[in-house]
Amino acid sequence: MRKKSFSFSLFVFVLTMIFFYTPIIILFVFSFNSSKTMNWQGFSLVWYKKLFTDSADIWRSFGNSIIVALSSSAVATFIGTLGAIGIRWYKFRSKRFIEIISYLPLVLPDIIIGVSLLIMFSLVKIKLSLFTIFLAHATFNIPYVLFIVLSRLDEFDSTILEAAKDLGASEIQTLLKVIIPISVPGIIAGFLMSMTLSLDDFVITFFVSGPGSSTLPLHIYSMIRFGVSPVINAISAVMIIGTILLAVLTRRFYKYMF
Amino acid sequence: MKKYVYFLLVVVFIFILTGCSGSKQKLYIFNWSYYIPDEVIENFEKDFNVDVVYDVFSSNEEMFAKLKSGGTGYDIVFPSGDYASIMINLGMVEPIDLNNIPNYKYLDKSVLQKITFDTQSNYSIPYMMGGTGIAVNTKYVKNYEKDWNIFLDENLKNKMTLLDDMREVFGIALKQLGYSVNTKNTDELNEAKDLIMKWKKNILKFDAESFAKGFAAEEFYVVHGYAENIFLELEDKSNVDFFMPEIGGPMYVDTMMILKGSKNKELAEKFINYIHDPKVYAQIVDYLGLPSINTEARNLRTTVPYYTIDDLKNSEFKEDLGDFLSVYNKLWQEIRVEN
Amino acid sequence: MTVSLWRSSRMKVNYGTKYSLPMLIWLTLLFIVPSAIIIMFSFMEKNQYGGVNPVFSLQAFKDLMNSAYFKILLNTIYIAVMSTIFTLLLALPSAYYMARSKYKSFLMLLIIIPFWTNFLIRVYAWIAVLGNNGFINQFLLKTGLIKDYIGMLYNNNAVILVMVYTYLPYAILPLYAIIEKFDFSLLEAARDLGASKSQSVFRILIPNIKSGIITSLLFTFIPAFGNYAIPQIIGDKNTNMLGTVIARELTTGRNWPLASAISMLLTLVTVIGVLVFTSKQKNIKKVI
Repeated sequence: MRKKSFSFSLFVFVLTMIFFYTPIIILFVFSFNSSKTMNWQGFSLVWYKKLFTDSADIWRSFGNSIIVALSSSAVATFIGTLGAIGIRWYKFRSKRFIEIISYLPLVLPDIIIGVSLLIMFSLVKIKLSLFTIFLAHATFNIPYVLFIVLSRLDEFDSTILEAAKDLGASEIQTLLKVIIPISVPGIIAGFLMSMTLSLDDFVITFFVSGPGSSTLPLHIYSMIRFGVSPVINAISAVMIIGTILLAVLTRRFYKYMF
Repeated sequence: MKKYVYFLLVVVFIFILTGCSGSKQKLYIFNWSYYIPDEVIENFEKDFNVDVVYDVFSSNEEMFAKLKSGGTGYDIVFPSGDYASIMINLGMVEPIDLNNIPNYKYLDKSVLQKITFDTQSNYSIPYMMGGTGIAVNTKYVKNYEKDWNIFLDENLKNKMTLLDDMREVFGIALKQLGYSVNTKNTDELNEAKDLIMKWKKNILKFDAESFAKGFAAEEFYVVHGYAENIFLELEDKSNVDFFMPEIGGPMYVDTMMILKGSKNKELAEKFINYIHDPKVYAQIVDYLGLPSINTEARNLRTTVPYYTIDDLKNSEFKEDLGDFLSVYNKLWQEIRVEN
Repeated sequence: MTVSLWRSSRMKVNYGTKYSLPMLIWLTLLFIVPSAIIIMFSFMEKNQYGGVNPVFSLQAFKDLMNSAYFKILLNTIYIAVMSTIFTLLLALPSAYYMARSKYKSFLMLLIIIPFWTNFLIRVYAWIAVLGNNGFINQFLLKTGLIKDYIGMLYNNNAVILVMVYTYLPYAILPLYAIIEKFDFSLLEAARDLGASKSQSVFRILIPNIKSGIITSLLFTFIPAFGNYAIPQIIGDKNTNMLGTVIARELTTGRNWPLASAISMLLTLVTVIGVLVFTSKQKNIKKVI
């Protein structure tokens, strides 16, 4: 009987994976299409050739996206995790206030966040660049990290903190040896989610980007009326396979990393 | 903790590095995507030994919202006529010295005459002129009238799209009824709204993003949109009829302007002049398939445009409506919500 | 004794603020301040060319008192709620499976990687699957199961499908993070004591992971509520969501105060929703 309930979850998981990877397989197949339309015209490597020989601007915006995604996710994960620990286990006056305001960046539509940040940047005369994109992305990523880590910590009993202190652990030791280890799955989940959000954002980035700091989504959305070039399919395929390979190759280090 | 500090240092370092690379003079352009072929930009970079940074927007409104809320750093921007006039009125652009644009003489005088917002080209140099039309898939649609009222045809129900663009859709409805695309008469507008509501019954959706893709994939048989987008998507061009109804419609002129605060005004003028070099301009219109407003380039181009200046003879430039825009806006909102 | 207690509670106060301070500063500078500017806009007169005139006005809120917005609000709520329900139905078992698997980290990566490709390309891939000439229709037509294609795209259901697709990973991750620490021997103990399978899941598992469920709900519902790209690309002529309207007012309408007022409506509805949710959660806790 227990086995059966386990296989139900496996069934749904497989279903989810099919759901997730169907578009990816299609994207993959069409990266080998000789035509630029969505009709299959024959196998060809023309888009990969174009990607590796004649797409400096795509690589540049891809590089920008990676820089922004990694840096903003890292900073958001750091700040969000600390914030969650503070909110969950310590009592202070502005706690409830912080919780409520942290929901708001999730609520406001991207375009409003984008415009409001742009207005503020121009008021305080910050020059628009990759740095302003980084600031904006970290801002909308923080709440996601915060709430994932918070829910992870929610079911832990705060007595473990007191136990650690009774055993003579300093505050820093408690943080590094007790709190951080139990929040790790939440921290990883938060980081991955931040990466995803950052790599996909278009609207906010459009407003806070400066001259020459295009990211990949900006590049792709600008193609929308003229047909998205299959070179984008090719770079996506390269990125997915690269990430999976990297994950498989480094899997032995997982236990040390996480 | 230490790791994080190091990491932050690396991040900051990367930003500093990316912030100050290259020593050549830079020209910052803010333009529609794919509006200038890459080769033209590359040749300009070579000829003048400069770097061109080319950023893109996908609608006038987006571009304007960004510039209006403080987006700066661009030298040249390519707004359409109605927004060009707003930007001139708001003092967002630098005057252009026509003495520095000798190629201005090649511009078609009959086109220049139609421009009302900047009659002397003090601030803006026209780049391209065009209008929206209708593309029909003749494989599936045999009998149709070359008219905006094609959207009344119930046989094509849910097979057609109109642009998701307030001014364009109001414009064609107003023209169909015999009014000006820039009308400020509420009765005329209400009549136009009623017509659009009739069209709405038969269309599948208002679409400004993927009409061309959907048309190429045979999801839609009749689409309202821009010729260059539609033809770029099509592998097989034999089954498509692109036409502009005889009665005319709204049309646009996209212009080149130098933004206030540009640090490279001289280079920007060189660029504008370079674009209207007949050889360069011919290359551009060949790539876009649009009619040429540069008289000399007409002789040099090697392809036939999807439509001609003559097809636009009954069409009208969209103009800035000022405060009256809110009336359009309210009616458009009603169109989008009512059934 | 009293002294040390006093000291330890004071330490807690200090560290709590210390930990949350970076976040508080960051969100204040980069979120509260810009949002405050936008909120102020809703009480000002609109400038006909975008932006506002610095004159107090309630016109935006008067404009908002229009049944059209109420209709759009209802449609938005419907789509967001449906998307959330379906997302959660898929997310719970998936997260459960991942948490029990030997390859947790790898599966987590596998779940998220598809979403590192661009949204637009993924949506176009869906069009290739669901379209009139898409794979499903082609297959059904060839096998003779249907005579004419089925129009699967360009309606509310397609919007919900793509919403579920977009937000499912955001629902799975928090659930995974919390199920991962769940003590599964509790389920076995419950079964040994005679509880049925579903009883043990609903009585033991669900209450223990409810904060994860709530986080997932919010991560799905809130962004779905404010979304505007999906209805625009996948929806039909009657698909109107608040996000779409805000974008329209800000760009084509050049009515910034109204855009700002609608955003405040959006925020208000969501905050009320969140408060209702979280207060419910506390009640449940008390009962158990």
